[in-house]
Amino acid sequence: MLLDPGMNLTLRPMKYPDFYEQYKDAIKNTWHVEEVDLASDLTDLNAFTPQEQHLIHRLVAFFATGDTIVANNLVLNLYQHINSPEGRLYLSRQLFEEAVHVQFYLTLLDTYLPDPEERTKAFDAVNNIPSIKRKADFCFKWIDSAFDMQELKTAADRRTFLLNLICFAACIEGLFFYGAFAYVYWLRSRGLLDGLATGTNWVFRDESCHMNFAFSVVDQVRQEEPELFDEQMHREVVAMMEEAVEAELQFAEDLIGDGMPGMTVKDMKSYLEYAADQRLVRLGMPKQWGSENPFPFMALQDVQELTNFFERRATAYQVAVEGKVDLDEEF
Amino acid sequence: MTGLATTPSATTTAPQQREPEQGPAARIAERLRVHAAGLPDVDAEKVVAQIEAGLWPGATEAALRERAIEITSATVASEPTYSKLAARLLAEHIADETAGEGVTSFTSSIAASNANGLLADDLVAFVNANAAALDAVIDESADDRFEYFGLRTVYDRYLLRHPEHRTVLERPQYFMLRVACGLSQSVEEAAELYRLLSTLSYLPSSPTLFNSGTRRAQLSSCFLLDSPKDELDSIYERYSQVARLSKYAGGIGIAWSRVRSRGSLIRGTNGHSNGIVPWLRTLDSSVAAVNQGGRRKGAACVYLASWHADIEEFLELRDNTGDNERRTHNLNLANWIPDEFMRRVEDDGQWSLFDPKETPELVDLWGDDFDQAYRAAEAAGKAKKAVSARELYGRMMRTLAQTGNGWMTFSDTANRTSNQTARKQNVIHLSNLCTEILEVTNDSETAVCNLGSVNLSEHTTVAGFDFERLEETVRTAVKFLDRTIDLGFYPTAEAEKANRKWRPIGLGCMGLADVFFKLKLAFDSEEALALSTAIAERIAIVAYETSAKLAAELGAHPNFEETRAHDGVLHIDHYADARLTLGARWDAVRAQIGEHGLRNSLMIAIAPTATIASIAGCAECIEPVVSNVFKRETLSGEFLQVNRHLITELKERGIWSEKVRQAIIVAEGSVQGIAEIPADLQERYRTAWELPQRALIDLAAARTPFIDQAQSLNLFQAAPTIGKLSSMYRYAWKSGLKTTYYLRSRPATRINQTTVSAPAAEKPTELEVIPADIACSLENPESCEACQ
Repeated sequence: MLLDPGMNLTLRPMKYPDFYEQYKDAIKNTWHVEEVDLASDLTDLNAFTPQEQHLIHRLVAFFATGDTIVANNLVLNLYQHINSPEGRLYLSRQLFEEAVHVQFYLTLLDTYLPDPEERTKAFDAVNNIPSIKRKADFCFKWIDSAFDMQELKTAADRRTFLLNLICFAACIEGLFFYGAFAYVYWLRSRGLLDGLATGTNWVFRDESCHMNFAFSVVDQVRQEEPELFDEQMHREVVAMMEEAVEAELQFAEDLIGDGMPGMTVKDMKSYLEYAADQRLVRLGMPKQWGSENPFPFMALQDVQELTNFFERRATAYQVAVEGKVDLDEEF
Repeated sequence: MTGLATTPSATTTAPQQREPEQGPAARIAERLRVHAAGLPDVDAEKVVAQIEAGLWPGATEAALRERAIEITSATVASEPTYSKLAARLLAEHIADETAGEGVTSFTSSIAASNANGLLADDLVAFVNANAAALDAVIDESADDRFEYFGLRTVYDRYLLRHPEHRTVLERPQYFMLRVACGLSQSVEEAAELYRLLSTLSYLPSSPTLFNSGTRRAQLSSCFLLDSPKDELDSIYERYSQVARLSKYAGGIGIAWSRVRSRGSLIRGTNGHSNGIVPWLRTLDSSVAAVNQGGRRKGAACVYLASWHADIEEFLELRDNTGDNERRTHNLNLANWIPDEFMRRVEDDGQWSLFDPKETPELVDLWGDDFDQAYRAAEAAGKAKKAVSARELYGRMMRTLAQTGNGWMTFSDTANRTSNQTARKQNVIHLSNLCTEILEVTNDSETAVCNLGSVNLSEHTTVAGFDFERLEETVRTAVKFLDRTIDLGFYPTAEAEKANRKWRPIGLGCMGLADVFFKLKLAFDSEEALALSTAIAERIAIVAYETSAKLAAELGAHPNFEETRAHDGVLHIDHYADARLTLGARWDAVRAQIGEHGLRNSLMIAIAPTATIASIAGCAECIEPVVSNVFKRETLSGEFLQVNRHLITELKERGIWSEKVRQAIIVAEGSVQGIAEIPADLQERYRTAWELPQRALIDLAAARTPFIDQAQSLNLFQAAPTIGKLSSMYRYAWKSGLKTTYYLRSRPATRINQTTVSAPAAEKPTELEVIPADIACSLENPESCEACQ
């Protein structure tokens, strides 16, 4: 079984071909930080109001460490216990992507915050900014919960591991990051910070895949060991989601304050609850909040995009292409 | 700051008759109700409720209106009519903003723009002399023709702005009349062109819309520069030309085939050349540095002949892996391919690569002359290296699949069928940024083209396609395109020289897909092919007739004697199997040309029309739609777009529901496999990803006899393989296409959708399941605006 202790090295016959497919798809979408042009963002930043300045500084401070935390948990917990060579292939790939994200946000901070002192402060946000510290503490708590386990021997061990996996997929990637992306797309909907939005599109795409992979691991374990998913587990997941929504909401209060055009704490709360409900539904659990998505600009992220090449770099192309020259294929 | 008014100093005037105690939210609610009146299926109260729910302290009326626009424009995927509501709110915003600058009429907008030094003196004099008559031409109600995205595009980028306040100084209709006046000699002429613009029946390309009547009236879209000579000074002189042309919003095509390849000896220093890549890196930086009047970044496409010894490195310039020192992320790339190469691909033969320093003659040859010289160079052992033709072709396909770039353009077909290449000294060396222009160049002549496009959708009624109206539109369009040649400001002497000599224009079209939707024709049906070809023939014949008439009045273009038309050969004559339906008219125009010549050496080119199709609210040029629900990304934000024809048909049949809407969004705009949607609609509303690409090529090939320049033809493969692509492009070449444009493909993974229901674990979704290869990905093709 997927969570059985050990170091399975057998790729053929392949037990979980879907993991391998996800690995291959991820490779096709390789992107590089150098492709993101942040130049126009600086012009926008100079025209920001103090309220907008505060929001963007807090936001980049969160980005500064968010992906590093996720990468740490991947290495310290996920890689150890997902005992499938194809699953570990995917995780290796994810680790690379997290590194690219870290590099992207490093470049972003170096560009956005020219003052070295401010930069240092931003990278230390997990210690000195309370609204970010609270989110970080939430993450560390869940990293630690699984950290001491060498092997998943008992049902209790496996539930602990599953909660860690679900926490990082549903709460951290699926809620903290989703919250952060919403601010970026809100700014983008007002024609601001195009460079950040471009990079975010790519990060968002990667994070979506990470989440999907984690959920497909959950699905697999559920199939193999349905008894793990009992009432207790359900209660703990809901409690964890509630705590995450709470943490993200106090971050929103810090960022948004009294509100700005098209961005209020009330709407953000509704959005976070809506996103959290979606994670629960994905895990086969009933909705907890029943809120609606209030942000029209998020609806825009659901459809195909047409980019004018004078304005933004298109991102639709794949890196790995197969086959050889043949003049008689159907097309 | 606010997104709409890009300036904090934007002032809004309060509409009259307001009760003083009304707050801004109540006032916006009232305006929403007024604007929603008469719009079917629009619920103003729902929008009001949403605005009230999201109120923040200190919200002003302007900011709340902006919020109302955002909410209504995002609702278009449920109900397309909300686009009109959003457009009306925006029109009100623009009216308020201009009123704040004292602009309430066409003439007052001209006065305000002139006071800020934006306009040409002769335009101001013309308007002052005809003030009352011109004010009477304005049709204020024409604003209601705009969909939201069209009006928003006009507002964000086309209306003249106050140099300091950054507020707009014209309303959309004033802008259109200003453009018309900039090209006119009388009120009647101005009114004639304004009527085409205000009804969105025809639009000139973006540079003309940006600059007509202004102090720097650069009206041309495309510039084609010959390759620099194989010398340092010539290369740097080209950078300078590119920068000057780019500054004034022109799209650049530039060849690089004359420059020596890597390893070639440099006599002056006894060193070896590093080949073309370092030069192209410099070009790349130079293009990125030139910001087109703050409106957009510069853009250029480099053409390289397929026999150039650096071709393999050239094909890697856009890769996002490998050494970044050998990459050019801003340049577009195109292959300039002789027939001999394609023949060797077919025969699975060898292909020789040459250093142009050793074989300088190859650059200026085509057809049999090229074949002979190429084989002679091979026989003389001049090749730098030989490769398998199929291996190189496979690399070209890989570049297309991975980057969309490396466009396939065919040098022999281009030269063989051009009106400009009757004499040996006149050779076409490249196409342009969007692969629809084919004109001769040399070291001292930079080819130029002025473009405009007929909105075919506006010429279609339920009764059918209105050919009569099309003829009127084309006559006016050709007259004014010809006019732009004399009125334009040319950033370089090389461009002016070539344009005055050849006087080429590029009339194209847009909205072909809308015509098919309106007339209920499948894109790949025989009827669609026949209609599309007949439209192309009609545009061509009227353009030729009009140009011949202009030649009779004003004289033929100066080097008419060097053209095939002078020798009695018209473009259609190169195509024995052209579907001619107007034989007698072609005979008549041939006789007229024999007598007076042509005013323009070339007339027809189908540009991509990305931006002007947005303004007109129609499908891009001759292209199928890529999705029935998609967003457009621009510098000023993201905008949701839906296929209104589809929703209208679904409503007529009582099928349109929230469930169907979500199914289409989950399927990323595809209607295939959705059980509720009947088979005939699934057939007609296939997206570009779902149509057989053979049909796109066949339509383009049937149209080619009537396109004396070329067409920007994108091809689509959701999941490209080298095998599929190599067959497809070989078919395009065999079919006689002169050029092709982007290869569009889709990424392997996508962002998780947030606003449609998440599929529950281990439960089949309520919606019909879409095949994974269609539903799997977010897509994001690039599209061109230089030409339009």
